Amino acid sequence: MNQTVVSYLSQYEFYDHILALFGNNQGVLAFVIYAVLALVIVGMCATIGGLGTYAERKISADLQARLGPNRVGPYGLLQMLADGVKMMTKEDIMPFSADKALFYLAPLLCLTGVFATLAVLPFSSGFIMADLNVGIFYLVAISSLVGLGVFLGGYASNSKWSMLGGMRGASQIISYEIPVTISILAIVLLSGGMGFGTIVGSQGGLPHQWFMFHNPFAFLAFFVYGVGALAETNRAPFDLPEAESELVSGYHTEYTGMRFGFFALAEYIEVFVVCGVAAALFLGGYNVPGISIDILPMQAVQFVIFMTKTLLLYYVVIWIRWTLPRLRVDQLMSVCWKYLTPMAILNLIGCATWMVVFNGKSIAELILGSH
Amino acid sequence: MFIEFLFISSAAVTIACAIGVLVVKNIMHSCVFLLGSLMGIAGLYATLGADFVAVTQIMVYVGGVVILMLFAVMLTGGKDFISRAQNLLGLPPSMGSKWTYGVGLLVGLVFLLTNIQLIKGISQSLPTNEINNGFPSTVTQIGHLLIKEHVLAFEISSVLLLGALVGAAIIARPRKQN
Repeated sequence: MNQTVVSYLSQYEFYDHILALFGNNQGVLAFVIYAVLALVIVGMCATIGGLGTYAERKISADLQARLGPNRVGPYGLLQMLADGVKMMTKEDIMPFSADKALFYLAPLLCLTGVFATLAVLPFSSGFIMADLNVGIFYLVAISSLVGLGVFLGGYASNSKWSMLGGMRGASQIISYEIPVTISILAIVLLSGGMGFGTIVGSQGGLPHQWFMFHNPFAFLAFFVYGVGALAETNRAPFDLPEAESELVSGYHTEYTGMRFGFFALAEYIEVFVVCGVAAALFLGGYNVPGISIDILPMQAVQFVIFMTKTLLLYYVVIWIRWTLPRLRVDQLMSVCWKYLTPMAILNLIGCATWMVVFNGKSIAELILGSH
Repeated sequence: MFIEFLFISSAAVTIACAIGVLVVKNIMHSCVFLLGSLMGIAGLYATLGADFVAVTQIMVYVGGVVILMLFAVMLTGGKDFISRAQNLLGLPPSMGSKWTYGVGLLVGLVFLLTNIQLIKGISQSLPTNEINNGFPSTVTQIGHLLIKEHVLAFEISSVLLLGALVGAAIIARPRKQN
């Protein structure tokens, strides 16, 4: 059945006390818990997105032997607040010939698509809004709203640069969805379920129990997923939709103020989500090494472990952006269709064969003997 | 109560957006309304407990079909073609006479009544908790059905998809210059 945060909390005694406060009305209490948790998660992820912009500038400065933002607050940490205030107070310019309704809708679609994925992101075994049976499938499906937002933003601006950027964005996102989804499918095959609880639960805390090191094909699938995910989030070296050197700023050229901020925030949170999915699918997710007792304080430990893995991957994504040059459009498409997609299909067939031949055992289990 | 709320909001979104598809003049706006309508249908599936079908609906229609439609609209014409010449409320005589609309309405009514007759029995005989008969999740159940009972249809549809892929590759391949 579908597990949710409410069904997790309801196994503890304090849940009954809180339930009594709400006059034993299950529905209302569930609604309140969901609402509070949604606020907490969205607020947390928006902060992470904001800190992402700070981290991006600091790390890029580090890689290029500069200082980066260091004036606002300690170590320039409050720079993101200054940026936020600046964006909100800026004039909201609407191009005269823009398609007004779609111009307003596009950034909201981007943000909605990203925030909707947070509902299934497994921060810990209890702190997950809804552990759907179709968790990872839902995440892949709902995040296609982002591609739609990018495309409509490019169209509605009624500008040549935006149009080219939007077209590139949409074609890139729907192309790279294929290798990413097939790589995810290989992991679904290993774990025997699409829910995040099932996938993370069938891994262990130590690296040899992770799906990444389960078999050589899963190891390759991790890198196929990584490259595809970079392209899906429009990050360098795949940031062709917003290539500054040729398209001014791509699909958000005409956007100003907070509408531009929505696009930027959506991008940074999507990177976080993509890193979180990579951590959950390939790197053991929230599993604590060596300990498997399920008490409430353990949730905090699990949360810290999940965030550590995710933020390390976040660092790698930024590192890649400031290291590699941008691809050309034809190279982008040939990387996807001639290399990544065949590799992803090979990984899927390889994983399926491995499961049959070795009876679902990982390399470590074969070497050390099953235990 | 929550299920009723979910059902009413999904149904309202579906119907409102479907009317929007027909009424607005701009074909890009029609596509976006279609997107809303299809999302509403996904909500209806979720209300019925068919989580896999709901997500597949979003995956196929939002991630694929609507984006493809938008691409097709944008690649086939400039701004002049994007606005429709007429909408539902201002009908030119070339689109049909009152007889064709009368027949259309009649067919629609018959179709609606037949569907209501068909669905009436189903909704009374299947309580939602009996849908998962013995399977841990709907995904498992669909997997079992696809591989056991409907394996022929499953395999034949994969041949169809392969044909579509090969056809697309043939259309898109570069021609030799003589």
